[in-house]
Amino acid sequence: MLKDITFGQFFESSSPIHRMDPRSKILLLILNIIFLFLTKNVFSLIIPAVLTIVIIIISGVPVKMFIKNIKTILPIIIFTTLINLFYGSAGTVLIAFWHFTITTSGVMRAVYMASRIILLILQSSVLTYTTTPNDITDGIESLLSFLKVFGLGTAVHMLAMMMTIALRFIPTLVEETEKIMSAQKARGADLENGKLFDRIRALIPVLIPLLISSVRRAYELAEAMECRCYNGGVGRVRMKQMKYSLLDLWAAVVCVAFSGGVIALNILL
Amino acid sequence: MDSLIKLNNVDFSYGEDKNFILNNLNLEIERGSFTVVLGRNGSGKSTLAKLMNGLCKPSNDDGVVIVDGIDTKNEKTEIEIRRRVGMVFQNPDNQLVATIVEEDVAFGPENLGLTPQETRKRVDDALKAVGMYRYRKSTPHHLSGGQKQRVAIAGIIAMRPECLILDEPTAMLDPEGRDDVLDIITKFNREDGMTIVLITHFMEEAQFADRVILMSDGEIIKDGKPEEIFSDIKTLEDIGLDVPQTTGLLYKLKEKGIDITTDAISVEETAAKISAALHLEEN
Amino acid sequence: MSNIIEVKNLCYSYDGDAQIVKDAVHNVSFTVKSGEIIGIIGHTGSGKSTLIQHLNGLLKPASGEIIIDGKNIWDEPKKIKDIRFKVGLVFQYPEYQLFEETVFADIAFGPKNMGISGVDLTKRVEDICDIVGIKKEYLYVSPFDLSGGEKRRVAIAGVMAMQPKVLILDEPIAGLDPEGRKEILKMISKYREQFDATVIIVSHNMEDMAVLADRLIVMNEGNLHMYDTVYNVFTKSEELEGIGLSVPLVTKVLTSLKKKNSGIRTDIFTTDDAVEYLCSIAAGGRYA
Repeated sequence: MLKDITFGQFFESSSPIHRMDPRSKILLLILNIIFLFLTKNVFSLIIPAVLTIVIIIISGVPVKMFIKNIKTILPIIIFTTLINLFYGSAGTVLIAFWHFTITTSGVMRAVYMASRIILLILQSSVLTYTTTPNDITDGIESLLSFLKVFGLGTAVHMLAMMMTIALRFIPTLVEETEKIMSAQKARGADLENGKLFDRIRALIPVLIPLLISSVRRAYELAEAMECRCYNGGVGRVRMKQMKYSLLDLWAAVVCVAFSGGVIALNILL
Repeated sequence: MDSLIKLNNVDFSYGEDKNFILNNLNLEIERGSFTVVLGRNGSGKSTLAKLMNGLCKPSNDDGVVIVDGIDTKNEKTEIEIRRRVGMVFQNPDNQLVATIVEEDVAFGPENLGLTPQETRKRVDDALKAVGMYRYRKSTPHHLSGGQKQRVAIAGIIAMRPECLILDEPTAMLDPEGRDDVLDIITKFNREDGMTIVLITHFMEEAQFADRVILMSDGEIIKDGKPEEIFSDIKTLEDIGLDVPQTTGLLYKLKEKGIDITTDAISVEETAAKISAALHLEEN
Repeated sequence: MSNIIEVKNLCYSYDGDAQIVKDAVHNVSFTVKSGEIIGIIGHTGSGKSTLIQHLNGLLKPASGEIIIDGKNIWDEPKKIKDIRFKVGLVFQYPEYQLFEETVFADIAFGPKNMGISGVDLTKRVEDICDIVGIKKEYLYVSPFDLSGGEKRRVAIAGVMAMQPKVLILDEPIAGLDPEGRKEILKMISKYREQFDATVIIVSHNMEDMAVLADRLIVMNEGNLHMYDTVYNVFTKSEELEGIGLSVPLVTKVLTSLKKKNSGIRTDIFTTDDAVEYLCSIAAGGRYA
């Protein structure tokens, strides 16, 4: 739920994956996704699949939590599968009706596409289950810090600050929205029924107070930040310094090895 | 007198507005003192607070605010003033920046460019000082109003300011949260010698101060020791201030012709005064 | 007098969200007679706000019944909106819910939702403003141009304009200065006189409760700890302190005096009564 965005999907544990530096987790996720897309067919997908299973086991996060995530995007998976099922024209025709034919290559392709999406979701879930949104933000800021060279340092800092403040204030604003909705309902506002247009109109008594209060909050927060010597991040030194450890090296070695496997299979198959 | 903050002939109005919120204000805040500024909403007391740390600047050219020898009008030394004079506001929610308590407290020291080790130490010290150390890994959203306000205070204390200005810090808190916050700031003054300026419209919050300033319509109308201010309840009521029920009781007894003074706030002091005036003591 | 509110074995808990579990309500039963003023006191998180949101059907009981005016409000869930016109609820800091362009439009929002329009609507809004003392010239200014205390009055008038038989207010005077507080309290008592309404006030302020309420509901950890007259609640100061609440300050002063002189009464809860009592002692009267 939005209210609990601070910890997001974070699953408390002290597994090796949890203990990794957020930066290496993000980088290795990107690497894994790239190689996931470099696989040529369903057979070379075996390598990323094995890697994903290994990561999930090491992470110590219950499998049912991963299944839950897959379920939420099930419609997308089904849609992609169906589209691809009818796409292939080569191979033996399995079923043909009206304008549609399903061929063996179509089936292979459908399985391949669906598995790829599932693996993508599983790998990303490992990141969000083992890393707090806060750490992810810090990781992104640190990874993007090379942009300083192009004079974009402030932009990167602003982006990270915006993400942090959003994470901080979303629960507050959700709670406030609920409060305002209750208050307007107590005045007989009907927020649940009616035609689409009526329902949008019915939101005005909620949105206007919310907007006014957000502006007030933003103004007060800016003043408070100024009072705490904030001047746009110049000369700011973070308390929590991220450090790569041996663990990150091992993780990198494993991921690179699996990536090599993908290349090898691509050549062989 | 060793004054930390000095205001000379300060006028203040927002924008081009000729309606002055503050009018020719002169004030000195002594190092290590505990000053309470009392006034109702709109009396200019919040603006006074913002003038003291440079968030607002005098509107008139000859109006000056000097903090520890630095003129607040100079933009280059703004940071120097803010690290000396910390400020806590009314709504604790709108002061917290980070999603984790300890990271929020670290925000100030981080901005000052301190080493991570030094920041860590200051964060831990500050959280212990406000009694929130065991919540360091929590998220502010899961804390009560009083706890959030204590975290906000820790965030300022971690910058090790000489002076703490609090602008109605208890107005949105329940009685429990209010007592906690007042205990903490009194402790900072008594034990660490920190200069405190507490801005409020609750008269009972002035009982721990060594100086009380009454504000009304942008002007200082009285300035003195708590006893002096509290012995004149009529002025307090006239400018629309909250008088605690204890002091109010003494005032009404006095009006009824009983020979009693009104300079008491706590239950015990009040009882002692009544007991003496009515000769209630047995034996 | 008939019972306007009957709450029977009300239970409610917020499932899932572990953080607000504290605000649950366990097996609460009580009745309120028509025309009474009831105060609800209790710690933050004692279940006060959960309780009042049940009385106008904003929350649905997990078990138990809410009977308003002899009718179980959840008998016809589709008509739950109508209950909100019968039981008006003013939330804490109601001024933050203002949204219309003019004071008039904002006050008219509730009555409009009741289906009132045209001349009737104008009359309703003007009537309530007359009763609670909002000046006519304010009706067509933006509510956002008003002072804090004035905004609060407009927001409360917005609920009053629905002319509910029961008016519930959550901390209606929190954050206001004495002037603003007086205005709000005056407005509530005027409304009550005019419409013979039942009033329920949630507050931390024991001093105000002593002056205002007929009976007090004391909530503690989701349970109805006490429900009795102001006298009977505030004479149990030790029990109240046991659950972190307190008696009015004047009562504390008298209790402190009693330590010096055992003849002093401690069953006085308002400044005026205390002044009268102490003056009678000063005049040589007897203590009791």
